Amino acid sequence: MSEKNMEEKVEHATNSKNVSLPMSRVRLIMKSSPDVSCINQDALFLTTKATELFVQHLALSSYKNGSGKETNTLSYSDLANAAEEKETFQFLTDILPKKILARDYLKSLEEMKKDDDNL
Amino acid sequence: MDGDSSTTDTTQLGITGEYMTGGTYVLQTQDDDGDESFNDHEDGNGGKEHFREQDIYLPIANVARIMKNAIPQTGKIAKDAKECVQECVSEFISFITSEASERCHQEKRKTINGEDILFAMSTLGFDMYVEPLKLYLQKFREAMKGEKGITPVTVSEGLGEELTDDSFTGQLPAGLITADGQQQNVMVYTTSYQQISGVQQIQFS
Repeated sequence: MSEKNMEEKVEHATNSKNVSLPMSRVRLIMKSSPDVSCINQDALFLTTKATELFVQHLALSSYKNGSGKETNTLSYSDLANAAEEKETFQFLTDILPKKILARDYLKSLEEMKKDDDNL
Repeated sequence: MDGDSSTTDTTQLGITGEYMTGGTYVLQTQDDDGDESFNDHEDGNGGKEHFREQDIYLPIANVARIMKNAIPQTGKIAKDAKECVQECVSEFISFITSEASERCHQEKRKTINGEDILFAMSTLGFDMYVEPLKLYLQKFREAMKGEKGITPVTVSEGLGEELTDDSFTGQLPAGLITADGQQQNVMVYTTSYQQISGVQQIQFS
């Protein structure tokens, strides 16, 4: 998502206070971090707005990068791929493990066992 | 739908109507898609339960809406992708907050301010957000000024930017000092506003 696109979004914002996410809930999440005592109004607003931008960024980036182009659907694996491939989203790799089909996993386990037997 | 119990839930969770949008955003307590539950993954969590910090998410409908608006119009979003982004979002908020908090501590400050947040974003690789966010903050501040009347002269709540004769239907609060700039220098309105000739428009110096 280019900076220019973001600038346009800001210019088109009709209601300047428009936030689509509940600020009080954002504050709750912020407060759940250790050692956080007070959060001023600007910080809360900026975090809420940044979160919106983040959602847009993550969704669009994953969609464009992934299989969404063919299937027209943004899937979990698109997100997992984005987390792995884009440096910005790498902090998400822990919570976005790539999913694997159980049977594939079992298969690979069997193959690992075979390798061990061959040694 | 038992909208009442979910309203109670949100009250107990300390979520009151402090949204800034003046009615354009409402905490969805009565929707069918289960947004009233604090943790959208589980059904009907009781309001009195203590939520673990890792379970605090933003409402999935809001998150999904933002996602939908970001991708091309014909695109769809898988349900597990929505839930997943919901979790990513909480992670993002915590990520930024802990970075900002650390800086605060280093500088021996207790309150996280806007600069800390912007700095954290820059440090963590989100510096492309910083400039747009500054613009948004500016607009936000301007909007807040107009509403709460944070001007050099104390204005009581409810008064708009421009005061005309028509805007006074009731009583002015005691102690509001105005100046008409013509004959008298200062007029003190104590309990009620009276039409006095010579006062065209009330000006605040």
